[in-house]
Amino acid sequence: MDLDLARQAQVGDESAFAEIVRRYSPRVFSVASRFFRQRSLVEEAAQEVFLKAYTQLGSFEGRGSLEGWLTRIATNTCLNMVRSSKRRPESTVSDLTDDEAGWLDQQSGDGAQPSVENDLVATDLADRLLSVLSPEDQQALLMIDGEDASIKEVAEVTGWSESKVKVRAFRARKKVREAMEKLLGHRNKQLDSAAD
Amino acid sequence: MNKHITEILDNASMAALSEIELNEVRAHALECGSCRSAYEAARLSAVVLKSRAHVVTEPSPFFQTRVMAALREQRETESVPAFSRLWKSAKVLVSSMALTTAALGVLSFTLPATPDEQALSAYSAESVIMGQSGDEQLTYDQVLSTVYEDDDDAR
Repeated sequence: MDLDLARQAQVGDESAFAEIVRRYSPRVFSVASRFFRQRSLVEEAAQEVFLKAYTQLGSFEGRGSLEGWLTRIATNTCLNMVRSSKRRPESTVSDLTDDEAGWLDQQSGDGAQPSVENDLVATDLADRLLSVLSPEDQQALLMIDGEDASIKEVAEVTGWSESKVKVRAFRARKKVREAMEKLLGHRNKQLDSAAD
Repeated sequence: MNKHITEILDNASMAALSEIELNEVRAHALECGSCRSAYEAARLSAVVLKSRAHVVTEPSPFFQTRVMAALREQRETESVPAFSRLWKSAKVLVSSMALTTAALGVLSFTLPATPDEQALSAYSAESVIMGQSGDEQLTYDQVLSTVYEDDDDAR
């Protein structure tokens, strides 16, 4: 089915390619959302993915799923986009906003109540922590720790060996944990000085 | 239990730790201050990473149309014949050359001549033959009368 659709699109059947876009854009958007938060950037990346996929349709042999093939293209495209854009300065995790401090306090106590605001604060905090990592390490960590993907799944999507994925995830986890420890240390100092 | 537990924390996600590993981590964290803060940081990191992973942008209803339009545009660009593309590139070169020539022309007419050029133009063929400078030019009659006077004197 996927192969037929890909072959039809390859010979110029626009409706077949439109069907591919319709069917798999949620998956491509989900991959791009790992790398970008802004909707415009996610859309730009997703469009780039489909244009690339169109030119490479001939290389899809139907051995795996079209979704898996598109996921690989999406991952590589997004990694390239992040690499070519200006990198954010590292170690931006020294200061906490009031919301973040509040969220950490809640988590250290009974745990933050689930709410849209709390989710947003946690997501912002995650982005700050992830900014200390390379795009590749971010990808590995978000897939494994965020989405519960297996080492094998990450290896398939990225084309890295399983041992490389393990090393990346280990290194990324350690860096993020240390960055979080720093933040907690700052927060404890703030609380101590407020108490004095 | 004296072995630090940071390696266990960094080796796998919190969700992937077995009950035995978690018990080991918690037991050690009770006794070791640095491992306690490492465990707390790992736990909170896992929470924020889960939140981040849930943030997924949904495709807009116009996305498919946008991609198809971009695809048509891409195909049109590719279908332009090679000669046209070559001419497009050449046009840039030709126009830049024309501009340079025009600029040089304008400069040569508008800029004042250098003193050397002025000196050269002062020596016209006649003045060289006559042995005169530009300031001392004679009229044609004066030249003729001077020449004939000389002839008469010679006779």
